[in-house]
Amino acid sequence: MTDNEKPLIEVKGLHKSFGDHEVLKGIDYSIYKGQVAAIIGPSGCGKSTFLRSLNLLEVPTSGQVLFEGTDITGKDVNIDKIRQKIGMVFQQFNLFPNYTVMENITLAPTQLGIMKQQEAEEKAMELLNRVGLPEKASAYPNSLSGGQKQRIAIARALEMNPDVMLFDEPTSALDPEMVGEVLQVMKDLAAAGMTMLVVTHEMGFAREVADEVLFLYDGIIFEKGTPDEVINHPQKERTQAFLNAVL
Amino acid sequence: MGDFAAKFYQNFIQDNRYMFLVNGLKNTLIITVFAVALGLVLGFLVGTIRSTHDKRGGWTVANAICKVYLTVIRGTPTLIQLMISYYVILVSVNNKILVAILAFGINSGAYIAEIVRSGIMSIDEGQYEAGRSLGLDYWTTMRKIIMPQAFKNVLPALGNEFITLLKETSISGYIGIQELTRGGDIIRSKTYTAFLPLIGVALIYLVIVLFLEFLLGRMERRLRQSDR
Repeated sequence: MTDNEKPLIEVKGLHKSFGDHEVLKGIDYSIYKGQVAAIIGPSGCGKSTFLRSLNLLEVPTSGQVLFEGTDITGKDVNIDKIRQKIGMVFQQFNLFPNYTVMENITLAPTQLGIMKQQEAEEKAMELLNRVGLPEKASAYPNSLSGGQKQRIAIARALEMNPDVMLFDEPTSALDPEMVGEVLQVMKDLAAAGMTMLVVTHEMGFAREVADEVLFLYDGIIFEKGTPDEVINHPQKERTQAFLNAVL
Repeated sequence: MGDFAAKFYQNFIQDNRYMFLVNGLKNTLIITVFAVALGLVLGFLVGTIRSTHDKRGGWTVANAICKVYLTVIRGTPTLIQLMISYYVILVSVNNKILVAILAFGINSGAYIAEIVRSGIMSIDEGQYEAGRSLGLDYWTTMRKIIMPQAFKNVLPALGNEFITLLKETSISGYIGIQELTRGGDIIRSKTYTAFLPLIGVALIYLVIVLFLEFLLGRMERRLRQSDR
């Protein structure tokens, strides 16, 4: 972690309201290159909103999100360019059902003129091998299981060579027996040095893979630390209550 | 039976009366095809403007104009629109067929616009977010991800609209166009028989609609490829 001086993403005073309802009440946070952060907390605490603010799928009401030094909430920022560097994986996979697996993965880089078709397909095959699904290249998403869909979604995001990956409850919509295969891909990714922010209910994964665990509660980062600190020895009562409920 | 043959001869063969139907059919098809084309262009334009306004704000003036268009067109009978086009707005245009194409196209555009909008709304927001999160801009996301899926979802409704439009052109006779229905009318007025000319006209419409249904069915099956 040589780049430790400068955070990859730096969030300053992030607020987000939906109408009268304030979901995020001032979040300050930095993540550095190669770090894996797990974001946990009860539903409705703002975990997803926080994550989605990092690539502006939710536009903050106030505050700053700096990505590699650029405030992406600024008016002159080309958000599409920024998003090319921020991979995102959704709870509901959101594969494009009208395209094959291969087309799902190669659509964005070829449309954006970042890669030629052949180059994109070669890289896609590499990624499909990495997530263990090379035989599904010409399949349509509807013929895949949930776990397979999510692994393809991860490959699709990786095709863009992102600097950071955001995971929004990537295993919450999966049948229990498919959670493992997706978590394994994520573990491999973390081991390969990818910077990751993961909203999750998988405490085992957080414990094993995360460098840092954030407990979000009531729109703020309520408690933060290493997995051992937050999950095994939470300092605050609310954190303990949450962990007792989920563990 | 001999009576039927005689009636058939009198209505369709004698004096080449079938030509009234042939020429009428020609005009009906010309009006329908071009009106459908115009309606599609207008409909996609207006439907896209409305959805874009709903999805990411802005375009307030364009959206307001579109809403007025939809209200006026859907709020008045097609026949009145056709007659206003011919007798009031486009008086200087001598080509009746052209007037009919414009009137039916503008009319159909309003209905197609709402079909297109409903199609875009039917696509899960996650599809849009996935496209945008990959760095695709709004229009590329619409063109490559949302629209193809929306089109598949609205194809039955679009087919409905085409079929309705085809049959609605039968009111073109009101501005003196000899389309299929009027062709049958002319035969009826010459032979003083109602049954065969009317049934003949009805059958021709039916055959065209069957053909349309066949085409749409094939298209739907092709688009459903990815559902397997």
